[in-house]
Amino acid sequence: MSSFLSTAEPPSTPPPSLRYRHRYRIWALAAAAWGARALIRTLAEREIRVRYKQAVLGFAWAVVTPLVLMVAFTAFFRKAGRIDTGPVPYPLFSFVGLIPWTFFSTSVAQGGLSLISNVPLLNKVYCPREVFPMASVCVAGIDSLVASVVLGLLFARFGFAPRATTVWVPVILAVQVAYTLGVTLVASVVVVYLRDLRHALPLVLQMGLFVTPVAFPLGIVPANLQRAYVALNPLAAVIDGYRRTVLYGQPPAMGLLAVAAAASLVMLLGGYAIFKRLEAGIADVA
Amino acid sequence: MSPSGSITATHVWKRFHADRRRRLLRDQLQTLPARLHGGGRRGWRWALRDVQLVAEPGEAIGLIGSNGSGKSTLLKILTGVMYPHTGQVDVAGRIGALIEVRAGIHPDLTGRENIQLYGALLGLGRRQIRERFDDIVGFAELEDAVERQVKHYSTGMQMRLGFAVAAFLEPDVLLVDEVLAVGDASFQQRCLDRMRAVLAQGTTLVFVSHDLAAVEATCARGVWLQQGVVRADGPVRKVVSAYRQSIESAAESAAHLQGEVGLLKLELDGPDGSPRTQGPLEVAMVLTSGRQRACRLYLGVSEGTATPIFLIRRDLDLPAGELEIRCEISRLPLPRGRFYLWAGVFEGGNRDVLPWQPVAPFDVIGPSADHGPQGVVCLAPLHVEASWDTARR
Repeated sequence: MSSFLSTAEPPSTPPPSLRYRHRYRIWALAAAAWGARALIRTLAEREIRVRYKQAVLGFAWAVVTPLVLMVAFTAFFRKAGRIDTGPVPYPLFSFVGLIPWTFFSTSVAQGGLSLISNVPLLNKVYCPREVFPMASVCVAGIDSLVASVVLGLLFARFGFAPRATTVWVPVILAVQVAYTLGVTLVASVVVVYLRDLRHALPLVLQMGLFVTPVAFPLGIVPANLQRAYVALNPLAAVIDGYRRTVLYGQPPAMGLLAVAAAASLVMLLGGYAIFKRLEAGIADVA
Repeated sequence: MSPSGSITATHVWKRFHADRRRRLLRDQLQTLPARLHGGGRRGWRWALRDVQLVAEPGEAIGLIGSNGSGKSTLLKILTGVMYPHTGQVDVAGRIGALIEVRAGIHPDLTGRENIQLYGALLGLGRRQIRERFDDIVGFAELEDAVERQVKHYSTGMQMRLGFAVAAFLEPDVLLVDEVLAVGDASFQQRCLDRMRAVLAQGTTLVFVSHDLAAVEATCARGVWLQQGVVRADGPVRKVVSAYRQSIESAAESAAHLQGEVGLLKLELDGPDGSPRTQGPLEVAMVLTSGRQRACRLYLGVSEGTATPIFLIRRDLDLPAGELEIRCEISRLPLPRGRFYLWAGVFEGGNRDVLPWQPVAPFDVIGPSADHGPQGVVCLAPLHVEASWDTARR
């Protein structure tokens, strides 16, 4: 036997001391996003281009969903008893809630399927996998921008101007994006393991519309339960915050916003940890 | 920090579920009680066991082995798509994977948009893609089609597009998995040329293929994986020939020389022992059949793979009983080396009455074959003069 041949049989099990360890740190999320910004941009562009090419209405779809829901809510509550929105016209009130809600539900619905629909690619080419759900969130963000333009038109239609407290919007937006990204990351990776969930996802999102104060004000939840409610559903504080600052000229409810911010941060960091842990096995199960 | 282009993989182990169960929620719920009670033992199958692969920058390694030996798993671990169970993997520098990439191509986008997307996936910046754009389009021969939607492309055009992007990535480490299995002959040759050009730039190459001739032509070092274990690691010709011998002996033990027609005896003779290059080779065989039948006998010679170098055939009128057949190949067009004689008897077109199989090894004495330049794959289609003689026994 010459030296290049090896006839030695390896041990039946690997030495536990050499076990491969996955290394990930929490700040790596930001680093990965920054390092792959060109890729995220290209993926988001792809998604938008494809939608634009396939659909006659193209970008109009970004506003069709919130507009239709707004009209439906308005018609429904005109019949079923008015909701007291003070000096604010109800269509504006609901549309301001629908923009962050649509951002969330589009992100989770599209981002949730972003890994599973790219599995053949993930099995062949290495790239940080966070970029797929992140790109979906970006696309939903662009939809929100388009919807915001429509919101501007609605303001003009109702002769209503945003209040000076609108300067709070970036803070609230940060909470909204953190929570949405955290949920989207978890949804995308869990769906790869539990394929059934891709059918459950739209249903869960539909239910979410009714347990989030989109059509109604946060005030209908008893005051002593609001903190617990917002901890479970930070979007409630986000929507309430937008309404207070943009429509009513009040500062956001600080206590509630702080609870929502903490819950969103936990969701984002925990979601990223779950994502990284499960992502390591995608190529094994898919 | 190891120099870019080097590969260090030590004590790599990887396991998969032995039962490839579906991972649906339904299945998970069904097995939940068993798993909660600590039972529900899972069967694992080791796909890689204690694999070492250490490469210097610029080395060209051919990874060979039969199906299921762990080649693609190892490549996926090197790419970073899959993680090992145990061990250390460090691939320094940018990794390019030259693989079948239609997965990443979106049918509704144009060729140009897809090149940008795929380049970004492989880690290229926008400017780098723009710089290489013309080269990529030229290599893929898509000048006329680049502004068209990819869904109007042919399959071959889509594949060329994917390869071209990967081939112009200019990586430090290039991983190639069976690219030559697709594409027409001229594109395969250009893929090999491109690989050679990339090698000349000092890129490290790991090349997985069942095409042993292509591996020998491209790589200097061979690594043979068998059931997840490195069986041989050394000069490519030695490793490939060790691998060939193992498939041959496996094929030999699996051979069944008895179909509806049996092969009773087979002798191979040169004029004095082993046949010589350009010398005569005499094959003597005895076939037995239960009834009279008109059929066709094929003989072939291979170098170990299932693809014969040449074939010869003879229409036979097999009587009930035994028939002795002699065949003399007057000038054997084979270089020095070990070859296999294959035989098969077919009736009425394609129905095998003696299955096509390797029946005997033989060694040829003579000058060794000339090797082509690196990157040129030699397949040798040969025309062989032969005379036949049959005699009833």
